[in-house]
Amino acid sequence: MPLFREGSATPVVNDGPVPMPLAEWFKDRSSTAVALANTDDVTSLQPRLAGLALITLHFPKFSDGRAYSQARILRERLGYRGELRATGGVLQDQLPFLLRCGFDSFESDQKGFGEALLKARTLFSVVYQPTEDGRPTVSQLRLQHRSVTLSAAQ
Amino acid sequence: MPDAHFYRYDDYDRRLVAERVEQFRDQVRRRLAGELTEDQFKPLRLTNGLYLQLHAYMLRIAIPYGTLSSRQLRKLAEISRTYDRGYGHFTTRQNLQLNWIKLEQAPDAIAALAEVDMHSIQTSGNCVRNTTADHFAGAAADEIEDPRVWCEIVRQWSTLHPEFSFLPRKFKIAITGSPNDRAAVRVHDIGLRFWRNGEGEAGFEVIVGGGLGRTPMIGKTLREFLPKDELLAYLEATLRVYNRHGRRDNLFKARIKILVHEIGAEKMREEVEAEYESMKDSALKLAPETIEAIARQFAPPPLQSKRTRVPEVEALKLEDRNFALWLKSNVAPHRAPGHAIVTASLKPAGAPPGDASAAQMEGVADIADAYSFSEIRVSHEQNLVLPHVAIEDLPAVYRALGRLGFAEANIGKITDIIACPGLDYCALANARSIPVAQRISNHFAALARQHDIGDLKIKISGCINACGHHHVGHIGILGVDKNGAELYQISLGGDVDFGHTALGTILGPAVPAERVVEAVDTLVATYLEVRTDGERFVDTYRRIGIQPFKDRVYATV
Amino acid sequence: MAKNLRGDLQVASANRLVDGMVVFLDAAAQWTDRLDRADVARDEKAAERLLERARAESATVVDPFLVAVTEDGAGRIEPLSLREKIRAAGLTFAAIAAESVRYA
Repeated sequence: MPLFREGSATPVVNDGPVPMPLAEWFKDRSSTAVALANTDDVTSLQPRLAGLALITLHFPKFSDGRAYSQARILRERLGYRGELRATGGVLQDQLPFLLRCGFDSFESDQKGFGEALLKARTLFSVVYQPTEDGRPTVSQLRLQHRSVTLSAAQ
Repeated sequence: MPDAHFYRYDDYDRRLVAERVEQFRDQVRRRLAGELTEDQFKPLRLTNGLYLQLHAYMLRIAIPYGTLSSRQLRKLAEISRTYDRGYGHFTTRQNLQLNWIKLEQAPDAIAALAEVDMHSIQTSGNCVRNTTADHFAGAAADEIEDPRVWCEIVRQWSTLHPEFSFLPRKFKIAITGSPNDRAAVRVHDIGLRFWRNGEGEAGFEVIVGGGLGRTPMIGKTLREFLPKDELLAYLEATLRVYNRHGRRDNLFKARIKILVHEIGAEKMREEVEAEYESMKDSALKLAPETIEAIARQFAPPPLQSKRTRVPEVEALKLEDRNFALWLKSNVAPHRAPGHAIVTASLKPAGAPPGDASAAQMEGVADIADAYSFSEIRVSHEQNLVLPHVAIEDLPAVYRALGRLGFAEANIGKITDIIACPGLDYCALANARSIPVAQRISNHFAALARQHDIGDLKIKISGCINACGHHHVGHIGILGVDKNGAELYQISLGGDVDFGHTALGTILGPAVPAERVVEAVDTLVATYLEVRTDGERFVDTYRRIGIQPFKDRVYATV
Repeated sequence: MAKNLRGDLQVASANRLVDGMVVFLDAAAQWTDRLDRADVARDEKAAERLLERARAESATVVDPFLVAVTEDGAGRIEPLSLREKIRAAGLTFAAIAAESVRYA
């Protein structure tokens, strides 16, 4: 399936390491890439995260959102900084959520996916939830605005 | 026009809703152009509140914490006229449903909603739905804190939540600020109840895993006392446990109540607390300024000191018996002296429960402008509420509501029936609900008799999904389909009052449609014969049990 | 008296994509809102073919399916199930009108 990364409307060449299923990878940690099922416990990777360049998280169908939680735990709690790929045929309408949860590459064969990816980060200029994408939340912006107004008034 | 006395969108909120409208417009365009299949489009339209029902698309509009300004209600009337057939249905979850929407016009309808800071985001789909509250919030005499402040905080946090937009199943949160729970917090995925601990500090009891539907369950208390500023962290932790571990193999076992039931409340608590540990000091912790800024917007309207005893009211009471009954059933105490909370009954005799025409919506908006600081509430019992009415204005409000057909003195009575849309509209239903409600309503229309019967809640659902809350009706009625015939299963003794929350017990074999009224009449007659002083139907039921009722109803079969 | 209670007679129905309106497939493979113009399949084979044709014409409708119907002596067809009767004929009670301030 075509692979997309942010910044490119066309598929990129998939020339990275081939991810191994988690159970296999535990036996033989030769690969720097691991493929997780959405039922796998991501925290089991914790001691070995530094050696990983790619983790793939799977969306067996659009409506199964378990991998969003896996992604946030990897990024936010475990501090994983390598590539985080959404597999299983991602649709463009998932992109704003995926990006906010820390995914940075995507498998998709949907027409128009690449163009949608270019616009996905700006589709919503406002976010309410703090996540590791670092975007200031509405609450934070309001507090900032308030302190600016207060200091201007002083 | 006076400012609303509840949360007003700022530019951020407005921008998000506007961007969402444009996203949906593009999704509809792609669907109509054939770029999206129905399978791909369905979850997208559902998270914008758009269903495909039997005859048309249905748009479910969120009315956050059941609070509306007159301006918003007028806009709802206008939208129902422009994009629908000029009427709408207020639901048990503080939503308004329009039944005849066209897909090609849905983005325009939603854009019109945005003009008055409203939306239909997440009114369907497997995500966090509209958070409901006590419909007397901010006015009730028995309130500890206004729950709507917290509903608004939850609304913002849950809107387009990146992690929780594809949960195993829908997720409903309700918040009550009063010891007398009017938000049914024990039958929600998460129910939050304010109370004060020994130090006088207000916080939440967190109740998880309640719900009606196919497998009704009463929620379990996961946290006795949660400090208020940790609410979002605790919700996020709970939702994460549910998102990861909730069942996805069987649609009927996917709600959080099944997870809590299967792993047990103790294990659920451990899992949630473990997640919560990692989150409670994160950016999810609410800054005092954030809470205050939102709370300020819910400051009560400037109620002037008013007379508590009004001769005109006393005189009309003697003159007009229906007014006297109306005062008893439709008027509740307000915290401010000289004021009252008025419930406009959307259950006139024989009407489809919860329905209002565009003209009626506008009429209620006018009354709210004149007498209730332009504010209206939607109750989960499918009525409208005028929360801040001066006692001296009650006669005028009564007459004005009467002209709309909304002054029926039946709140809490046998004709104040909750009913889902049923098989007349709904693609999931097995049997009709509205015609059954209409027949019962007509049969018991006499007000004096209704008041003699006293408080009695009838709740009707057209299928096991229980949108009509039949499990918690004093008399619950569930429509089932048996070889093409509509039958109705009757249950007794359900209740949502706090401390008494109970699921009804099935009376016996389901009865045919044409026997429902007779059966209800027999139940009522049985109660009237054996009740003791001051006993409501449900009290008598609790005292004597189901058998006497059963014997009578099935005696003639 | 209905000729057929087991539902051997079938029509193809769906909701129209643009507005959700109930439609039926006619003999010319067009979607119509009139049940009396629906093409009736009179045996299982014909029903299969009808559903195939409906699916082939499904770009403008949502999820076509077969509806069991009965036919009276005058050739008038009516769905068997209450649900489909309501889909074909509309609400079984009078909805409140836009400008009315009282029901009924």
